[in-house]
Amino acid sequence: MLFGDEGQERLKKAHIFIAGAGGLGSPVSLYLAVAGIGTITIVDMDVVDQTNLNRQILHFDRDIGRKKTTSAIEKLQAINPDITVNAIDMKIDETNAANLVGEAHGIVDAMDNYPTRYLLNEVAIAKEIPLFHGGIRGFYGQATTIIPGTTPCLKCIFPKSPPKEVFPVVGVTAGVIGMVQANEVIKFLLGIGELLTGRLLIWDGMQAHAEEICVEYNPACSACGRVKKTTAGKKK
Amino acid sequence: MRQGKEDNSGEEEMTVKIRFFARFRELFGTDITTDVAAGTMFTSLIATMAKKNPEGYAAIFDEKGAFREYVILMKNGKRIDSAEAAKTPVADGDEIAVFPPVAGG
Repeated sequence: MLFGDEGQERLKKAHIFIAGAGGLGSPVSLYLAVAGIGTITIVDMDVVDQTNLNRQILHFDRDIGRKKTTSAIEKLQAINPDITVNAIDMKIDETNAANLVGEAHGIVDAMDNYPTRYLLNEVAIAKEIPLFHGGIRGFYGQATTIIPGTTPCLKCIFPKSPPKEVFPVVGVTAGVIGMVQANEVIKFLLGIGELLTGRLLIWDGMQAHAEEICVEYNPACSACGRVKKTTAGKKK
Repeated sequence: MRQGKEDNSGEEEMTVKIRFFARFRELFGTDITTDVAAGTMFTSLIATMAKKNPEGYAAIFDEKGAFREYVILMKNGKRIDSAEAAKTPVADGDEIAVFPPVAGG
């Protein structure tokens, strides 16, 4: 086996929080469910719309008009009845973000806006748990893994939010980036491989080309500037 | 290749590579290698290039000609603060990267 019974047991004991049941949240949650992540909490406030269906593969044509959380829990439990799925129909905001994340071991950023991403970043820093970031647009995507205290945080990398825009995404871009995120979650939980830390992966689907750039701490970062830097990999 | 350029840098032409990502790549292309005069600053290099495409210029710069605050700038793999870019010179062989955060999910 790839990581043995012990590894599978680790995944079973893990709790991962997925912020969003849309383009990224769909592939991430499906693959984490079939990987056997014991508890998945997925949060979304939207209703399934026909325009979602090119990429939000958790939701089917018959789900149009239903809550995404209702659709999500149904699919995730159907694909793996042995895991626990909490699907919460709520908008993530500053008053509830920390409570929603609860005791989760990691946060998957499957959001479509930076203000909520920054909230998740702050929760990850406060709880000292990783944030698995992903973003997509058209044929382009980006991903990085943030480990508070050992890597730059999301706000170090992207200090200012880009304007909100509605732009189409080809479904496979969500798949490509979602798979990178899910793969990172699994490696983190198993403690294997090399995480996508300190690096921003940039995917160009038009060129079928992935590259990465190094990301650095911003000492003046408003989110993590006060966090004491520790040696990479060191546990508290 | 760089030999002899430092001594008369005031008159020497230099070659700089500009790399755009995501939406900026759609507007300008992937990699652009351009000759620039010695002493050219980061901001003026990108502004001169971007003006060839009004839509692209508006995506990168605001009405006052400053980088939009969310645009990420890098020189040879190192982050450049947009406020510092106007007084950051580029040198022969530099690789400049300009990209927007991708927001969808």
